[in-house]
Amino acid sequence: MVRTEAMNDFLLSGRRALVVGAEHPVGRTAAVALVEAGAKVLLASQDPDVTDALEITVKAVSDAGQPNPPVHMQSAVLRTDSKTTVELAVKELGGLDILVTALDKPLYAPAETIDDAALEQVWASNFKSVWYASQEAGQVMLQRGGGVMVHINSVMAERGVPNATLYCAAKAAVLNLVRSLALEWARRNIRVNLLECSWLDVPDSPATQEGEFSSRLVRYLPYRRLLKPDEVAGALLYLVSPASAFVTGTSIAVDGGLLCRV
Amino acid sequence: MILDNLNIAGKVAVVTGAGRGLGRAMALKLASCGVDIVAASRTRSQLEETAGRIRELGGRCLTVPTDVAVSEQVDAMVAKALSEFGRIDVLINNAGGGEDQLGKPLDQITDAEWRRGIDINLSSQFYCARAVIPHMVARKSGKIINVASGYGLRGEKHNYMYACAKGGVIQLTRSLALTYAGDNIQTNCIVPGIFPHNERLMQFFKGGKFIPIGRVGYDEDLGPLAVFLSSDASNHINGQLIVIDGGGLAGGIAPTGVIPQLG
Repeated sequence: MVRTEAMNDFLLSGRRALVVGAEHPVGRTAAVALVEAGAKVLLASQDPDVTDALEITVKAVSDAGQPNPPVHMQSAVLRTDSKTTVELAVKELGGLDILVTALDKPLYAPAETIDDAALEQVWASNFKSVWYASQEAGQVMLQRGGGVMVHINSVMAERGVPNATLYCAAKAAVLNLVRSLALEWARRNIRVNLLECSWLDVPDSPATQEGEFSSRLVRYLPYRRLLKPDEVAGALLYLVSPASAFVTGTSIAVDGGLLCRV
Repeated sequence: MILDNLNIAGKVAVVTGAGRGLGRAMALKLASCGVDIVAASRTRSQLEETAGRIRELGGRCLTVPTDVAVSEQVDAMVAKALSEFGRIDVLINNAGGGEDQLGKPLDQITDAEWRRGIDINLSSQFYCARAVIPHMVARKSGKIINVASGYGLRGEKHNYMYACAKGGVIQLTRSLALTYAGDNIQTNCIVPGIFPHNERLMQFFKGGKFIPIGRVGYDEDLGPLAVFLSSDASNHINGQLIVIDGGGLAGGIAPTGVIPQLG
């Protein structure tokens, strides 16, 4: 590859990065982008028992330039696992400069039908997990002089969606977590930002199930198509690299203009 | 691979207000990445200095003295850019001014000052977009980068024209983004925080003491963002406000930097 001047601010040579949620397509994209830019990664899962999906990420990261990256299967909703994962990243990588989370578990259901178990699960998966990773990684970064965090989230953080009440609320909670953490750690050399995805072209999304919702949705999107997971790589790289040294507490949506709409 | 998508060598960018400050910094950065620059602003001597520095970098720069608040001059500038380089890939709507109105009480701002300020900060961006968009639509490709301000999102005492114009820039961004999404033209908006351009302002802002990150913005901070938004790495980003302010807008309901810790 020819290195050009344009790339210099985006390079991550020598950086150590933890990706949590590496079994997800956007987590995979993040891991590959980090490695392509020169970082070393530890891949941690959101859920246990995702061997196959994680294996795809391992292969992608190996092909991108980090053969056989360290991997840790965990449950991101557990404090103890999050702590162990961060400790392992420091041990395996020799430090921790970058945290990227891609933690997501949708819940689509009429509000009047949601029970407390579902409430607990959507809150734990979409918010608590991000908090655990941020706090555990933050403690390490504060001790070691700083770092960068990017949480990959959804445009749902910004708007309401019917039948997605708790899911939207949890996503919005992450947005305001990012703002507050960014302010709190600004003077201590940790930057914290959010990356918001549009409706992703991934299996198990209502956007990719045939029917009235998905066909109307696609016509509603400014680009008339769903977001491919690898299209978030540029924004991710901007936010984790020195290119964004003066950027903290903000969010970038990769949505083709969706949030501009009425 | 993602780094390759950042390669912008060979593109042509029109940068308004390229004679100083943020505009010059973005023009120099893009030029260093191999972009041909059309530098437009009112003051020829400042443009020539920008052009000289671009040529030192080995880049090409066309200077077009332009009052971007006058649409005929904007149209002529764009025509000249096209005849010189044959294409425009990127428009950076950066020209602005009238900060001298900040702090002036309502009754001391004349109609002429108000209109001139709106023309420089808002109408100019509309004129430039209107002039380049037919060309971008024909090529089914283009990047428009509008420069707004944190004052376009938040209010301040005695800030009328500037806040309104910059708020208008944000809405202009959204309308352009939605209208031309299907033509593969991405329109985004940079929202800079405090970037003082002289010693008086630096002292006024106390070097950034009250900015969460603890410093003011430097012109050079904007360069990589201009590169990113000009490149294929941002092709699915459209209609976005990219805030670059050291965390200023993340807060706003409690003093930051003054009271670092609550409780």
